[in-house]
Amino acid sequence: MLHSDTKNTLVNLSELSSASSESLTNFMEMGFPTNKWEEWKYASLKSFNEISWRWTPETFTHAVAVPAFQQSLTVQNLNGQTSILGDLPEGLTCVPLNQFLNQNAGFKALYEKRNPLLDQNSLYHLNDAFNQNPFVFCVHKGTPLDISIVHQFILEAQAEPAVIQGKIILYLEEGASLTWIEQQASKGSNSTLFSNYALEIWLSEQAHLTLYKDQDLGNGVSLVDHTFIYQAANSQVDMFTFSINGTFVRNNLHFYIEGPNVVSNLNGLYVPGEGQLMDNHSVVDHRMPHSESNELYKGVLLGNATGVFNGKIFVRKDAQKTNAFQSCKNVLASDRATMNTKPQLEIWADDVKCSHGTTTGQLSEEALFYMRSRGISADAARTLLLLAFVQQVIDKVEIISLRDYLSAKIIQKIEQSWEA
Amino acid sequence: MVFQNLRPYFCASIENSNKMMLSVKDLHARIGEKEILKGINLEVRAGEVHAIMGPNGSGKSTLASVLAGREDYEVTSGSVDFLGKDLLDLAPEERAAEGLFLAFQYPVEIPGVSTTNFMKSAVNEIRKYRGEEAMDAVQFLKMFKEKMAYVNIDQSLLSRALNEGFSGGEKKRNEIFQMAVLEPKLAILDETDSGLDIDALRIVAEGVNKLKSPDNATIVVTHYQRLLDYIIPDFVHVLYKGKIVKSGTKDLALELEERGYDWIISALD
Ligand SMILES: Nc1ncnc2c1ncn2[C@@H]1O[C@H](COP(=O)(O)OP(=O)(O)OP(=O)(O)O)[C@@H](O)[C@H]1O
Ligand SMILES: [Mg+2]
Repeated sequence: MLHSDTKNTLVNLSELSSASSESLTNFMEMGFPTNKWEEWKYASLKSFNEISWRWTPETFTHAVAVPAFQQSLTVQNLNGQTSILGDLPEGLTCVPLNQFLNQNAGFKALYEKRNPLLDQNSLYHLNDAFNQNPFVFCVHKGTPLDISIVHQFILEAQAEPAVIQGKIILYLEEGASLTWIEQQASKGSNSTLFSNYALEIWLSEQAHLTLYKDQDLGNGVSLVDHTFIYQAANSQVDMFTFSINGTFVRNNLHFYIEGPNVVSNLNGLYVPGEGQLMDNHSVVDHRMPHSESNELYKGVLLGNATGVFNGKIFVRKDAQKTNAFQSCKNVLASDRATMNTKPQLEIWADDVKCSHGTTTGQLSEEALFYMRSRGISADAARTLLLLAFVQQVIDKVEIISLRDYLSAKIIQKIEQSWEA
Repeated sequence: MVFQNLRPYFCASIENSNKMMLSVKDLHARIGEKEILKGINLEVRAGEVHAIMGPNGSGKSTLASVLAGREDYEVTSGSVDFLGKDLLDLAPEERAAEGLFLAFQYPVEIPGVSTTNFMKSAVNEIRKYRGEEAMDAVQFLKMFKEKMAYVNIDQSLLSRALNEGFSGGEKKRNEIFQMAVLEPKLAILDETDSGLDIDALRIVAEGVNKLKSPDNATIVVTHYQRLLDYIIPDFVHVLYKGKIVKSGTKDLALELEERGYDWIISALD
């Protein structure tokens, strides 16, 4: 239970009639994560227990610029209010969960047997309390969508500290494919904003999802992301998490491999700057045999930034012939930055191939001198080396306009850090 | 008056060939507590080629690094004037922009950056320093093509990450390619000949010779007379224990080839 004084700051929560009481109770029992919780050791939100939050922030409606990614449809969410800018393409529907469960027996079966790992995840319960009936985007059987969907989740500062809790469900029917670009952004001054966001995804057999996360929030904004992906046989996910800016960014990314011949590709790139913390906690749960997962994470830590990587791979007893690969490489671009890495492999099957490696280093002084001796300034040399380091992840982005957009933002962030 | 006004036109090359490029005076440098350069004096004028020879560990690469601005070394006394500027006051990149070039004895791997991208950055940074306009992709393409011919280097090598997995000879050839692109006023070649096969040695040396003009100068650090058959030095210096202990003409190099360093060293002790 919470301390009584802490509980006081949350007490208005229980008075909210809109929230689900069961999930709320689950959250209230634990409160915001503190560094006493092993899973949140480096990413404490203890201070959030003391804040008098506004739980249902005001929405705003004024237009927000949409980046021009070719052939895309934009779904905009402004402080929790969703609108679709344009017509949904054929083969894609958007229906509230309760209604969708009645319509789609296949989804209902999957939804009801969902079994995510929720240890030390009070914030998932908090999100759930506020999202009893989220939208379900469904890509129908055999539909290869030829446009990508841009989901802009935009927060606007409030007069008082505010929590914004979004949730979306994606369901890909058999043989469907989808490219989903999620952008977390914020507007307004540096007031305390907390985005507690959930994305739950089910892929049916043969389905293919490409998922990009572009997390680029203002200073003062915190984001905790829960992305849980359930994959049926022969499905593939290519996933990218670009954590570009934000005071506190924590990703809880879970892959549940529930059929054979599944491919799960997890890519991540994070560039925390001065006063920022970025934490990637991933779980790849191999529950069925003959599947592969590949994790490639890269981090550039600027200023006094803190980075955290925790990669859990579970290979269950039934998951024979699993190939699981994990790599996390980091460069401390300043000697004030810190990186904490923890690969965690738990293997109960005997016929598996698993490998993992984490490295954290600094830019080579030798290389910097060599570059400077050719006329390249120290800052430009550092930028060039860091870009070369992250290129491997950026190059995997297949949408060229998105790739250019992301790399421009990353270059800008790195260059700005030299000025500070 | 008229004569004076015309003088620069008539006498440009003669004047340049007399022009002092580099003047090193009583240069001392150390790394940690260890003094490595113990009073170097060296003067290089436009149009000249100087060879620096000397036993392993005598301080040749240290001298080259100190001139290029490596910060690991602490200059404890002495001065270096480069074309009227206090060289020791400039950052490494400023020295490069002023026209100094060091071909490294051990070129460094630059992971993920191709030679072409690397040189584009270098050229445009230098142009920015000099207040010149940036070059565009088309101009680069044309210029690189021209310079590749100097050292007979292949495009495929230039597209790879710089020096990563390059053979010893490829690295050295790439250094001279970079020199050709940057067109320095003073080039210091630190054992560019070592690791080159016989044909490559000739190609690289011819490249260096093509880049030579009355307006620039070259310092070659080498252990072997071989290179000096191609790049003919005006002066040969022997560096020993951090000092230039003997200077002479190209004949000195021939003599060293024959007799080694003992006779010089024993004359000192
Ligand atoms: N970083 C360093 N730390 C300690 N000693 C160093 C360092 N760099 C150079 N030295 C020492 O300085 C001395 C001169 O080295 P330098 O590389 O200049 O020699 P060199 O004349 O170029 O030799 P070679 O012919 O083998 O290339 C050597 O004794 C070397 O060990
Ligand atoms: Mg040397």
